[in-house]
Amino acid sequence: MKKGVLKYRTSDKTVNAVCACIAIGLFLILWYWGTAATKLGMMIPGPIEVLQAIGRGLFGKVGRHSIIAHVGYSMMRVMVGFAIGSLVGVALGLLMGWYGIAEAIFNPLFRIIRPIPPIAWIPISIIWFGLGEDAKIFLIFLAAFSNTTLNSMAGAKSVDPEVINAAKMLGASERQIFTTIVLPASVPSIFAGLQVAISSSWATVLAAEMVRSSEGLGWMIVAGMNNNDMIQILSGIVMIGIVGFILAIIMRKAEEVLCRWNKSGE
Amino acid sequence: MSERAKVKVRNLTKKFGDLLVLDDMSFDVEDGDLLCVVGPTGCGKTTFLNSLTKIYDITAGEILLNDEKVDPRKQNIAYIFQGDSTMPWLTVEENVRFGLDIKKVPEGKKKEQVEKYLEIVGLTKYRKYYPKQLSASMLQRVSIARAFATEPELLLMDEPYGQLDIELRFKLEDELVKLWKLTGTTVLFITHNIEEAVYLGNKIMILTNKPTTVKKTIINALPRPRDIAAPEFVELRNQVTELIKWW
Repeated sequence: MKKGVLKYRTSDKTVNAVCACIAIGLFLILWYWGTAATKLGMMIPGPIEVLQAIGRGLFGKVGRHSIIAHVGYSMMRVMVGFAIGSLVGVALGLLMGWYGIAEAIFNPLFRIIRPIPPIAWIPISIIWFGLGEDAKIFLIFLAAFSNTTLNSMAGAKSVDPEVINAAKMLGASERQIFTTIVLPASVPSIFAGLQVAISSSWATVLAAEMVRSSEGLGWMIVAGMNNNDMIQILSGIVMIGIVGFILAIIMRKAEEVLCRWNKSGE
Repeated sequence: MSERAKVKVRNLTKKFGDLLVLDDMSFDVEDGDLLCVVGPTGCGKTTFLNSLTKIYDITAGEILLNDEKVDPRKQNIAYIFQGDSTMPWLTVEENVRFGLDIKKVPEGKKKEQVEKYLEIVGLTKYRKYYPKQLSASMLQRVSIARAFATEPELLLMDEPYGQLDIELRFKLEDELVKLWKLTGTTVLFITHNIEEAVYLGNKIMILTNKPTTVKKTIINALPRPRDIAAPEFVELRNQVTELIKWW
């Protein structure tokens, strides 16, 4: 039974990389064929034109900045909001997961705030923080905060009671149990939350930039729309995908290092 | 009741709501005993051990270790659980070290203890492995090494070999006897396996069905190493079996 399942899984990195290249290649071919041989070509540019535009814009100018600079602006906003949101989220999640009284106080509020999508906060954030960076960072903070809080809380709640009891029997104090058991045991759940949080943060920065900004990938797309420049719109979209993909890889690598104990034996 | 006993349990009573599980139990454990506790399935053996260690609050009674109220934070107690209780994020070596870190043992002594007990349980070679890379018997050996490394005054074991196959169980039972002789630690070993109790214990305490009381404590003076096929072993095993029968 297990062999049947394993047949469809592979841990061979080379095979995975080849499969990924084939999939991306096929997508590009399909895109090229669709735009060159069908009416789709009247609505969107082909992949070659988009990739050429990205190549030109990487160090050239799209608006007032290069694409690299636009990525940098968006990344800076994401990183600040994500870092603050994750820190607060992890701390609050662990507290709520471990201390019943913290859960009783904060969880009702959190349950109300959590389902509200970050973009619903855009008007309020503009009223509170104006049209500058603070409003964007606030929105990204909200996007990162919810996911990390939820996963950290789940991690702290699911610590094996036998491990906790073993530590208690060895004389561990409440503080030692929290720092030496609850915190490390929650790391895989925290990382699962961070993975979702980074994607949400990235999605939110684009929404925030689309409302009001003069740089960033969100601005690139909105400016393209205003100028009816489909190549610029698609360049922005492709760059969002590429940066999101790189961020996901970085997060996965960090998780592999910090949670290497969570892998089964060979 | 001995005045010089290591552990004194007086009128231990534990209720879950209206359900009386432990009923006014009183007994002593002498220093250096390897006391095996047996009883009918579901009689509350684990509740008994968890009450001893304050994992559960007791309803009434008193438990004293060296004439002081039992408190794992003040006294040196270790517990080996039925399931795996290793910390999965720590290597074998770090797991064995864990109790020593908690107790803030000096670094030199810590190193010495870790080496000694890794060697005794045969895990020196696997010191850098994580629990997920180990077999069930190796995991229990890590727990045993972690418990013994702190040189506990009292070691509590709750059916630690219950989920292992017979070959591994025999091996780990011999390892426990070796460690017990070497360290002179007082061990309270809970099991539902009568053969295991007769093989290991220098005393066997038989519990009744719920509400649980102490039915009888038998001194087991069989010579070691014990032969499970020897007539005197079989006779003692049958005697314990008869005492456990509650129907």
